Amino acid sequence: MTGASVPPLRMPPMSSSNGAATAAPSTAGVASYAELLGGPPVTEVVQAGRLSRVGARPSLGSYLRQLWARRHFLWAEARAKVGSGTRDTILGQVWLVAKPVLDGLVYFVIFGLILNSDRGITNFLGYLVIGIFLFSFTTECVTGGARSIQSGRNLIRAFSFPRASLPISVVLRAVLNLVPTLVAMFAILLLLPEQEVWTWRAALLPVVLLLQTLFVTGLALLLARATAKVPDIAQLIPYLMRFWLYGSAVFFSYEQFLDHPTVLAVMQANPMFMVLDAARDCLLYGVTPALSTWLGLTAWAVGTLVVGFLVFWQGEESYGRA
Amino acid sequence: MDAPDLLDDPFAQATVAVQNVHVHYRVPSTEAAERRRRANRLVRAARSVLGRNPQVLVRALSGVSFVARQGEQIGLVGQNGSGKSTLLRIIAGLETPSRGQVLAESTPVLIGVNAALVPDLSGEQNIRLGCLAMGMTPEATERAVPEVMELAGLGKSIYLPMKTYSSGMGARLRFAIATAANPHLLLIDEALATGDAAFKERSEARMQQLRAGAGTVFLVSHAAQTIEETCTRAIWLNYGRMVLDGPAPDVALRYRKWAWAIAKDRPEEAKKIIEQALMDREETSVYVEEPVPSRLYTPRHVRPARVGAAAGRS
Repeated sequence: MTGASVPPLRMPPMSSSNGAATAAPSTAGVASYAELLGGPPVTEVVQAGRLSRVGARPSLGSYLRQLWARRHFLWAEARAKVGSGTRDTILGQVWLVAKPVLDGLVYFVIFGLILNSDRGITNFLGYLVIGIFLFSFTTECVTGGARSIQSGRNLIRAFSFPRASLPISVVLRAVLNLVPTLVAMFAILLLLPEQEVWTWRAALLPVVLLLQTLFVTGLALLLARATAKVPDIAQLIPYLMRFWLYGSAVFFSYEQFLDHPTVLAVMQANPMFMVLDAARDCLLYGVTPALSTWLGLTAWAVGTLVVGFLVFWQGEESYGRA
Repeated sequence: MDAPDLLDDPFAQATVAVQNVHVHYRVPSTEAAERRRRANRLVRAARSVLGRNPQVLVRALSGVSFVARQGEQIGLVGQNGSGKSTLLRIIAGLETPSRGQVLAESTPVLIGVNAALVPDLSGEQNIRLGCLAMGMTPEATERAVPEVMELAGLGKSIYLPMKTYSSGMGARLRFAIATAANPHLLLIDEALATGDAAFKERSEARMQQLRAGAGTVFLVSHAAQTIEETCTRAIWLNYGRMVLDGPAPDVALRYRKWAWAIAKDRPEEAKKIIEQALMDREETSVYVEEPVPSRLYTPRHVRPARVGAAAGRS
């Protein structure tokens, strides 16, 4: 044995049969294949203390630690892929801003000019722009997160890393994409002829966005596992997102539903409605969002994140096969 | 004294223990006979409406057990579809076995043929991403990048998107990335088959270096000669079963004789070779000893008798 400084667990005493091939008598009643053919069975003894099972789901604590250790990877992956959909175009990153602006234009023409659904909404254009821009952030996270395991198959087959990195990196990428979108949003709000009430409450917007991000991260994790298990869910998501879009008061006011108490209650419990409502209160109307909105939104954000993370972590060993 | 034979060195530390691993897949089959079998009319109608084929059970691996030690380079041989790549993916922990388990002393790194990384990004960006994905810090990554570029030897192409690479170039880059973190356990799946002679030389030197650092290298190759020349030990798989596990020259030679007999359409001869190999095989069963929790040393007289219990398990 070399010096005593060697940790005993890594190099056990020689008397232990670590790694040694010892022929052991078979006590099993059934003669094995090799015994029938003549070769004696060999029992190899290995120590579980030094070796650990590969691909095993780590405990929740060490999973979180591993994920934290990969933060640089998450960041690099998200940054490398920002605007990956527009790389082949001539205008390149300009599309990151142009797309939401065009989106807003479409809805403005249809709902503002043709259908006149702006009845009773002050600053309809601002109302519309905030709704569409913030909702498209959620759409990007949810659809991208749900497909993250399938689209990250190459990385999954190449490296072992905490798989939650994939949906989380989708959300990170969406956050990076959100920056030019927010710039476009503020430009539109400032350039429009309608009057906003600018107060200190505009500074509350980052808090609203943070809660929204936590909420969609949970949702992305949840859907990533569901889609890895049942790929058909990815086909359904666009339709569910459309229902959600119409149910979140993106381009009309919920005040039309005031005489339907059930519809109103469902709508007000909708986390995306809370996000949009709070953001509009802060930016357009100079009103502090109601305490119930803050509490409801926080509950949705924390609850979804915790549930989504636990559910995703539970399935950690299954993603390699999907 | 002769140079120590790594195979017989009982005190080399075990690095990987594969314990009775089975892998089954359910996959759709278009075989007409399968379509008619085991299905009533209703199920068949439902299948044709959904456009699905009946599922069959494929046994990719059945009951594979062995222990790898430090300093070994283990070659896996066998015909196409014999389970070599599946075994590597299982050892790497990228797939979970249906039964059994794999224990390893550190996280194995697998270099596969079709790990395309991110095709839209340049080779250089893929190096950074790969290093970070393996858990290296940004500083270590920056230090590793020039080394990886040199090993890959792609010249200016390293700055081009990876989707423009030929398969050989991609394989070289993947090999270079995977060895950047100095992995103790390196699994190579045919990745070197596409490299040219100059790269082959460099990659072999690199593998030698990794093994010298008390690592273990697994290598899948169809060229039995490569296994014979570079490996210390070889495992022959056939239809997911282990045929032989022993010194590389012996196993590779038998495999080559068998493959030659198959190629020359002499099934009798091939059968004889494989039966002889099965006869000579020593069946291994792996017993995992749980660590003694509280005391570092347990006196011999209070140690539980383990050897007897071990033989019952596999």
